Amino acid sequence: MSERIKVIPCSGMGKVYGLVARESALKVVQELCPQESSTVCLAYIVTGDQEAKELIEGQKCITLDGCPAMCAAKNAELAGGVVTEKVRVIDSFRKHKGAKPGTATDLTEEGWLVVDEIAGEIAEKVKLLSKEG
Amino acid sequence: MSINMVKVGVVSCSGEDCLGGTISRLATRKMLDEIRPDTTVTICLPLFLAGGVEERGFAEKFPTISVDGCSKACAKRATEKYSGKVSAAIDVSDFIGKEVAEAEALSIRNLTDEHSAMVEKVVSEITVKFDEVLRAAQRDLVAKGLAMVGSGPSGGCGCGCGTK
Repeated sequence: MSERIKVIPCSGMGKVYGLVARESALKVVQELCPQESSTVCLAYIVTGDQEAKELIEGQKCITLDGCPAMCAAKNAELAGGVVTEKVRVIDSFRKHKGAKPGTATDLTEEGWLVVDEIAGEIAEKVKLLSKEG
Repeated sequence: MSINMVKVGVVSCSGEDCLGGTISRLATRKMLDEIRPDTTVTICLPLFLAGGVEERGFAEKFPTISVDGCSKACAKRATEKYSGKVSAAIDVSDFIGKEVAEAEALSIRNLTDEHSAMVEKVVSEITVKFDEVLRAAQRDLVAKGLAMVGSGPSGGCGCGCGTK
């Protein structure tokens, strides 16, 4: 089984914060920490398939959620993932008061700046967790 | 109730692990933003588990079309497991090819004209199914005496957040 840290976004469809979560996670697993991290389809986890559960059962996970429903964190935990960090996208926006990040379809420059910031922070966490083994 | 207030749910897998998931997400957003903004609603698939009774009632409240990025059909299966039977199902890999659909997921930062063409192809198919499902739902309501011809607003996110 892969020991890579699982970075799982909610990818929420209704709000820009879901897109920010998705893009931040993709940046971590594809660009910043491709050797130390990977993602899993949250939709696959939601199906409850045994094969899907086996992808994250007992694995260290970092979840990213765009709204207080915390879908990524809840679903990862239900499937047996060890959620070590629950990132709330909205918290990052508190540092960018008045920012206009875009929509659930596309991001503005300000939106991409927040994506890069969140991705950088998660990459640091991934590296720390990888070192812990 | 006006038949113009009948809405159709479009539920995307929005999968993070393959290109098909990205295309499913973008096609669903296009339905909400541009193609049928007044009659399309959506919901975040993971809310079926993380949410409550209201979220799980989505497919009972709205006739629903699932849009899946690959043949695992997570959006269709999860919707039917937790909420209700879908009225139509789209598998993106039927339109862009299995191999392409299962390629690495794509950041929208890296979208090319080729990817946009894939989105258009899927949107065309969703639109055909959407109009069929919408007409059937409208006919059904009128036949039951629950709706009449008239005007009414608006589509958006089905979780109640009010966002389109």
